[in-house]
Amino acid sequence: MDLAFLWSTFTTLIEGVPLLLELAALSLAIGAVFALLLATMRLSNVAVLDWTAQGYIFVFRGTPLLVQIFLIYYGLGQFRPALQDLGLWWFFREPFYCAVFALTLNTAAYAAEIFRGGLLSVPHGQIEAAKACGMSRAMRFRRITLPIAIRQALPAYGNEIILMVKATSLASVITLMEVTGLAHRLIAQSFRAVEVFVVAGAIYLFINFVVTRAILMIEWRLSPHLRQPPTAEAPMKPEPAHARGA
Amino acid sequence: MTDAAVAVQDLRKSFGALEVLKGVSLTAREGDVISILGASGSGKSTMLRCINMLEIPDGGVVTIGGETILMRKTRRGMQPADPHQVDRIRSQVAMVFQSFNLWSHMTILENVVEAPIHVQKRDKVEAREEGMALLEKVGIADKAGHYPSHLSGGQQQRAAIARALAMRPRVMLFDEPTSALDPELVGEVLRVMRSLAEEGRTMLVVTHEMGFARDVSNRVMFLHQGVVECEGEPQAMFADPESERFRQFISSHR
Repeated sequence: MDLAFLWSTFTTLIEGVPLLLELAALSLAIGAVFALLLATMRLSNVAVLDWTAQGYIFVFRGTPLLVQIFLIYYGLGQFRPALQDLGLWWFFREPFYCAVFALTLNTAAYAAEIFRGGLLSVPHGQIEAAKACGMSRAMRFRRITLPIAIRQALPAYGNEIILMVKATSLASVITLMEVTGLAHRLIAQSFRAVEVFVVAGAIYLFINFVVTRAILMIEWRLSPHLRQPPTAEAPMKPEPAHARGA
Repeated sequence: MTDAAVAVQDLRKSFGALEVLKGVSLTAREGDVISILGASGSGKSTMLRCINMLEIPDGGVVTIGGETILMRKTRRGMQPADPHQVDRIRSQVAMVFQSFNLWSHMTILENVVEAPIHVQKRDKVEAREEGMALLEKVGIADKAGHYPSHLSGGQQQRAAIARALAMRPRVMLFDEPTSALDPELVGEVLRVMRSLAEEGRTMLVVTHEMGFARDVSNRVMFLHQGVVECEGEPQAMFADPESERFRQFISSHR
């Protein structure tokens, strides 16, 4: 075992981590908003909206992300004059933007179905109770439906986050030098594929370990109602600071 | 009719081809406790749910505290003309459900103060103090920091009553509040409801508890197949039922 080489590989590949995290975080954040929109379209009871969202989800879940990335970066590149006319070329000529775009569209399709399941799982009676005390539709969604839906959807969505961390490796095919991209380059220079990929794999594994723990922690924080009740003498939750200051 | 807390006139409601309410009227004055009885399918829950527009009636007029809920005709039948008016009226008409419907992601105290703080925009500290006092009143102050899933059915229903009281409602609607409870838990909920009646609160109670209807309410209404079969003072109605159907109903519920 060549520890010195492994270490130098590690220090090289670790430089791709910020780009990896940027790709994952950006696309997950934008994708989640988009997904919520798609999920509400699916549940809108308006046929046109429902079908549009269904069609979108069908296409983006049914085709490989790799193909989507190629189509967006290379495929759209063939329409450069048209994109220039539309003022969109600055966006589609950057591999980084194209990668974020493809990852966002992809995760939105998956997350939309996860969110839809979460929204559907909210017990009807609890929504009715919110109606009965005079909450407007928007307040009901914000205070009751969404918090309950998020708790339901979190385990499945955690899975999606992990998949997205790994999916960023595909960005290397359009010249982005994140962890996998750097690994390819290093192999081309050193011809030591096994060591380099082992180190690359370990980096993904570590990131996803942290992600997994973080999701578990959030789940735990959000689900006191699923645990045993507090047995201590003071069952009252400490007052949140904002309530005291009011 | 200006002193009526709730006035319902000629309420009609169909679900598809099934006509559930065929013109029901009811007037509750301030302080009235009206028990609404009837076999399942008689329309009693639907009538209660029409009062706060959880079901949209196909026809009829609902007036709460002198304010009539404005309706308009749409392609999907009658709809409230102004959603804001409905929200405002709902915040004065509290409802207690058969299945409690406490919000599962909030503690008991958070459930109680949710609407006062967010719908009625009351002061948070004051709402929490009032909320604790209400939990004290229904006997579950020690559960304030617990979640609904930690409580028994009877405790959950008492929490739901505290949540309803926290809105300082003009009228309270009870939709079979004890029907989902184990028999040994019914008493604790009925005791709380009886104390509310004694305070002079205006209550409309859909129930199968004949004891409550007879002893606590000051008026009883018996629905049969979507119409009011008979109504009146509970003592007289139970002692000498003029309606044969009501006689059969109470003898089968004894």
